[in-house]
Amino acid sequence: MAEPGQVSNSNPDKIRTAAAEAAPAGSQAGVVDRPSRRKPQISEFPPPAPPAPKLADYEPIIGKSQLNELRFLASPVAGRRVKMVNSTALGGGVAEMLNQLVPLLDELEVKTNWEVITGGNDFFEITKAFHNALHGQEFSLTQQAKDVFLRTTEQNRQKMNFDEEFIVIHDPQPAGLIGARRDNSSHWIWRCHIDLSHPNKDVWGFLQPMVERYDAAVFSSPAFARSLPIPQALFYPCIDPLSEKNKELDDKFIQEVCDNFGVDRSRPIVTQISRFDRLKDPLGVLRAYKMAKKYVDFQLVLAGGGAADDPEGAVVLKEAQEAAGDDPDVIILELPPWSALEINALQRASTIIIQKSLKEGFGLTVTEGLWKAKPTIASAVGGIPTQVIDKQTGLLVHSVEGCAYQIRYLLTHPEYGIQLGKNGREHVKENFLMTTNARRWLLLFRILAGIAS
Amino acid sequence: MDKSVHQARTLKASHGFRDYKRSTEMCMTMTSQGAEARQFTARTIFDFKTASHLLFIERQRASNIDELLEGVKTCSEESIFQHTFRTLQEHHFIKEGFSNDFAQWAYVDLGEVGLGERLAGLDVREFTSLGAVRERIVEIVEEFVNENPNARKRCSPTPFYFCSSRLIVLPTDLRADSLVEFVDGLKKAGLHSIQYHFIEARLRRKLESNDFSIWLKRDVGLDREAALLNQIDIYTSTLEGVRRKIIQILQNTLGQAS
Repeated sequence: MAEPGQVSNSNPDKIRTAAAEAAPAGSQAGVVDRPSRRKPQISEFPPPAPPAPKLADYEPIIGKSQLNELRFLASPVAGRRVKMVNSTALGGGVAEMLNQLVPLLDELEVKTNWEVITGGNDFFEITKAFHNALHGQEFSLTQQAKDVFLRTTEQNRQKMNFDEEFIVIHDPQPAGLIGARRDNSSHWIWRCHIDLSHPNKDVWGFLQPMVERYDAAVFSSPAFARSLPIPQALFYPCIDPLSEKNKELDDKFIQEVCDNFGVDRSRPIVTQISRFDRLKDPLGVLRAYKMAKKYVDFQLVLAGGGAADDPEGAVVLKEAQEAAGDDPDVIILELPPWSALEINALQRASTIIIQKSLKEGFGLTVTEGLWKAKPTIASAVGGIPTQVIDKQTGLLVHSVEGCAYQIRYLLTHPEYGIQLGKNGREHVKENFLMTTNARRWLLLFRILAGIAS
Repeated sequence: MDKSVHQARTLKASHGFRDYKRSTEMCMTMTSQGAEARQFTARTIFDFKTASHLLFIERQRASNIDELLEGVKTCSEESIFQHTFRTLQEHHFIKEGFSNDFAQWAYVDLGEVGLGERLAGLDVREFTSLGAVRERIVEIVEEFVNENPNARKRCSPTPFYFCSSRLIVLPTDLRADSLVEFVDGLKKAGLHSIQYHFIEARLRRKLESNDFSIWLKRDVGLDREAALLNQIDIYTSTLEGVRRKIIQILQNTLGQAS
């Protein structure tokens, strides 16, 4: 694990440049010269995952009363067993969440067994196509695709036991495992992490009869849900305040990251952390920067990944670099997926966080910014308005012009930004932390098991 | 219990605050264990509880006023509870401009500022049943539509999704058998506990009061403090601010008594 202030890989041959080359210092009159940029160093390989936090580690964050609430909630289901099933152990938000949730439930004595389904390339190609189709893309569902899906489901069913009291199936890939249900002795829950608001009718028509056999479904937003004859619980996505992306950092480390990336902390910093993806609208952010820059001095940081393994991401990155031109106050960083500490540092160094997406899922980068008590300007799309309550926990915008105006306003009214930041952090603390997620699971288990009082 | 303390409470119950104050002073003079009297020992223990809630997505959704009205009329009581009482906890850190989800949606998403303001005027503490809350919301929306028929044409790009809340009441390790212990418990209790006892209690009690005030009045004999607690404005304070105000009122009483 990379320690604050250290490079996470000691082999210099395996270090690559993650930021733009050094730019001329202080291009504007009256602006403090920025330190010259060094070549920032980030490992080419992911560092080993840090150990999962213990329940007691959360006490300084959520307080003893909330921790006790979790324990009291868990005690009637202590000793009962849960199985979580998804389609990947590594990578992706679901695996990341399960890596944090399973140890927490275990520590609360709700014994949780996490299993991953297996399948051939044909199965995962089909489930990837299902995933896109459920998000609304065109897809021609063939009998062959259905057969591959059902055959692989059956192979997994034969390899697995379902003798736990609570079976939680994540997303569409393993949804067919409900076929293993023989009676009502266990409670089956389908946890859907994707947006089903406009699904391809054929694919949803294929999956819906399976989903309707569950005891309950769980969605991340009311807008993502379908009309179903089973109860539908609402679990907001969450962040782990103790993860590398969100934990408190030494100021020395933050400074070092900023120095590495050529970010001048003596001047305002406005940051968008996102993949280089058109739907994240980095070009719109650059336009907003140029509009606002006429009135206020600040630096813009666009940092994210997606360019290395996505041809379109590379194109978007190039367009952003061209739009930025030789402006030394625009810092564009392409980061590998294991840059959690660096992203954390950049967010903490920022004066304002932006998320000017054109389309969004829940928008966990917004949650991260709010958790760091940063005034946040974000588009009113997807799950963002659930997090950013306009003028209360942040500022919602609907256009480039709106984004530019709010940057100007916040930079000239810092006290207002401080209040928004405080509210934003409280909002996350109450609703979007990993401990809240654990609480929701315990509540659902108790409600399904009939021990709700 | 000290006989003089009991006498003071009996007097308070029958003669109002002025007599109660006099009797309390008398009680404090009379008792040989002054410390006990200053702590305002209670007749019964106050057992701090808390509540945990799980949200469920309901079938109703609204993109315009007519759909909102229909949704409010047909949704479950758990849904009314969620969008009025419960949302105060979810947004406990906000002290201005947020009172209930219906008002917020009408104001921000539908752009009907007048309706938003009227709905925001709804004070859940004036209601002892969810049915009555529902009726009042329906009245407000219907009145607004009658006065502003063109408002029916307005459509929000962001629908209002009706949700409901299932609640599980949980114990805590906090209890109090005196005012001193009660104040200590208030300091240690989680905000969910404050919400449960101070705001949601009305639905359980069917009284326009809260668990704290009822205990202070009935078991400690503090009528005035019970009334003062009921005057705290939950819509212009954060829940943490509400807690501070409760503690301040009770500490003043303890300070005056010592």
